[in-house]
Amino acid sequence: MISAALAYSITQALLVLVLITGAFIVTRKDLLSLVSTYQMQSLLLAGIALTLYSVEESPMLLSLAALTLISKVLVIPYIIKKIQKQINIPRDVEFHYISPIASIFITIFLILIVYGAFTNILKDLALSSLFYLGAVFGISLTLMGMLITFSRKKVITKIIGYLTMENGVLLFSLFITELPFIIEVLILVDLFMIVLLATILAIGMDSSIEAFQERFQHLHIEDLQEKLHLHRKHGGAN
Amino acid sequence: MALQLYLGYAIASLVATQLMKTNRSMNLVALSHVLACIALAAYSLNIGPAHYYDKNFLIDTLSVYEIFITGTIFFFAIIYAGGHAERLIDLGLMDKKNLKPYYLSLNCLLMFTVLSFASNNLALFWIFVELTTFFTAFLIAILNSKKNVDASLKYIFVTSTAMLFSFTGLILLFALSESATGKGTLNWDELLANAHSFPPVFLTAAFAFTFIGFAAKSGVAPFHTPLPHAYSKAPSAVSTIVSAVMLNLGMTGILRIYAIIKQTSAGPAASNLLIAFGLLSLFIATLSMLHQRNVKKLIAFSSTEHSGLMLIGIAIGTPIAIFWVLFHMLAHALIKAVLFLSTGIIQRQYNTNNAGKIINIFKMQPLAGTGLILGSAAILGMPPFILFLSKFSILTQVAAYSIPLLFVMLLFLLIAAAAFTNLLSEIFSHTEEVKMERYNAPKRMTAPIVILLVLIFVLGIYVPNDLYVFLTKVVSDLKF
Repeated sequence: MISAALAYSITQALLVLVLITGAFIVTRKDLLSLVSTYQMQSLLLAGIALTLYSVEESPMLLSLAALTLISKVLVIPYIIKKIQKQINIPRDVEFHYISPIASIFITIFLILIVYGAFTNILKDLALSSLFYLGAVFGISLTLMGMLITFSRKKVITKIIGYLTMENGVLLFSLFITELPFIIEVLILVDLFMIVLLATILAIGMDSSIEAFQERFQHLHIEDLQEKLHLHRKHGGAN
Repeated sequence: MALQLYLGYAIASLVATQLMKTNRSMNLVALSHVLACIALAAYSLNIGPAHYYDKNFLIDTLSVYEIFITGTIFFFAIIYAGGHAERLIDLGLMDKKNLKPYYLSLNCLLMFTVLSFASNNLALFWIFVELTTFFTAFLIAILNSKKNVDASLKYIFVTSTAMLFSFTGLILLFALSESATGKGTLNWDELLANAHSFPPVFLTAAFAFTFIGFAAKSGVAPFHTPLPHAYSKAPSAVSTIVSAVMLNLGMTGILRIYAIIKQTSAGPAASNLLIAFGLLSLFIATLSMLHQRNVKKLIAFSSTEHSGLMLIGIAIGTPIAIFWVLFHMLAHALIKAVLFLSTGIIQRQYNTNNAGKIINIFKMQPLAGTGLILGSAAILGMPPFILFLSKFSILTQVAAYSIPLLFVMLLFLLIAAAAFTNLLSEIFSHTEEVKMERYNAPKRMTAPIVILLVLIFVLGIYVPNDLYVFLTKVVSDLKF
């Protein structure tokens, strides 16, 4: 077992690394490296849970680390990578509203706001400075995820944004309180379902495969409207 | 036992749907599931609510009321869906192989909605609400159109993102109860009982976070953005359910959390927050309605408008205001059902929701036309329809609270009325002859509209005394 002081400095270092992965996700265009970054971020989270376990020795933290490792480092990235291959778009170049540089500045701004706002709110909990930092970083990561979800156009990138948000929430809950394990499982179930549905739907949206386009085009409501319109015109001519 | 029995029946109906092959049989199974849900509400009412099923599930008066509304709306929506699905398949808008997933999702949506209303634990409530989001998104995407998939994805991302903030709020609430009482809990009843010992600033933060998710669920601005797309693209039965039931689900969440914070000195801050979001919803919704040419989108924005009205009612927080907010939930749900079911028939006749292309509606679809015009009058709060009572009473409460607020609200409501009048007068002024085959909607689609119209009229002139007594009990149980 490592000493508490060492564990806390490791946690601090890991926290900073998590934030860096967040910044990386905000700015990257390359879809494959986005998933790998998410994988790395989840691994860091599992690392934080493990380090905290070495001090607090609560079995909840250990199972949380295992859960994160299996679901977020292995299974979810695997699903997304598989879908990505099917869609076959290597890069998401469409930044909806804001450029990468602007997003970095917004991110820094967000962290500062969260830091300021939480000074007031969290004082009732009497957290130690490390736990306070963790909570603030958690919320910041959540906001960064939200930034990605709403500023990018490709569904796959949005999903990574949503996943990042959820990692932020997990980080927050790690440092604020010890939630019952069942709640952590529930949120993961939710995550799985949303990600699955969104990725399946994404095939229809992001796809460059001709067949999909055709299928959707073929059954478009607009087409029907046009047909109807023609029909009406035809009727009028008669 | 009742809840377990219901749950058993719900699962059995899922299995049965999986085994069935025809539209009619799957429809009947779904309908029997709805009846089981109504039976659950009736039974719980009979044995006297506040019935615990281990400590995580509780059917109290509010749950009974909401489950009853849910059952009623699903009842009409599913009867309608039977006829509607056939038409969608004939037109090639829905794949025949999607019929089974369609009914399975409707059953799941009903089951998870009932379970959310019956949850005593906030985390359970949260997960069930998220599951309803999942199935709603699926139901929106069920038609073969890229626009549906797009609308569905928007719905998922906005709602789920907002719900993650709610989850953050729940974590705060858990930490709060842990530091105040020594034992962390997310159970409504325990939180309500211990509310007075929670530190106000912290509680306000928890409330604000939790509010975001439930607000997205009930279409409060600025989280309403995916709803107009979703409502206008989804099959009408689904739009009805999302607009009537999901809105109530979110509102119930907000109401319960507000009931907790109202006990503390943070009450006024939370109340101001609700008023701000209420006004914002009224503002954005009514202005978007004004230039709207798509009938279904107009009705969708009207949901946001009514969410705003209800939020302000909750914010005022007097027992009378809460009473009428609850009544408003029922009235709004019934009228929205009339409107969406009517526009569903119109959409299938003209293949569009665009007001300019709906021609000679009284000749082509007299019933749907009547439903649209009476439903619009009703949703604007005209007497003698049901919504008049609640809208008028909420506004009276607003008048007692603040006259300037009343005037601002009246202005917005006037704009909404203008928007509806504008669109309706356009639709009903196209009376030229059209050479178009008339779509004969089956009785399954027309009967719900007729019954709902009668219902909103009768309840507008006669409200049973039992309902008054019951709603008064709900308000006092919430400690308002």
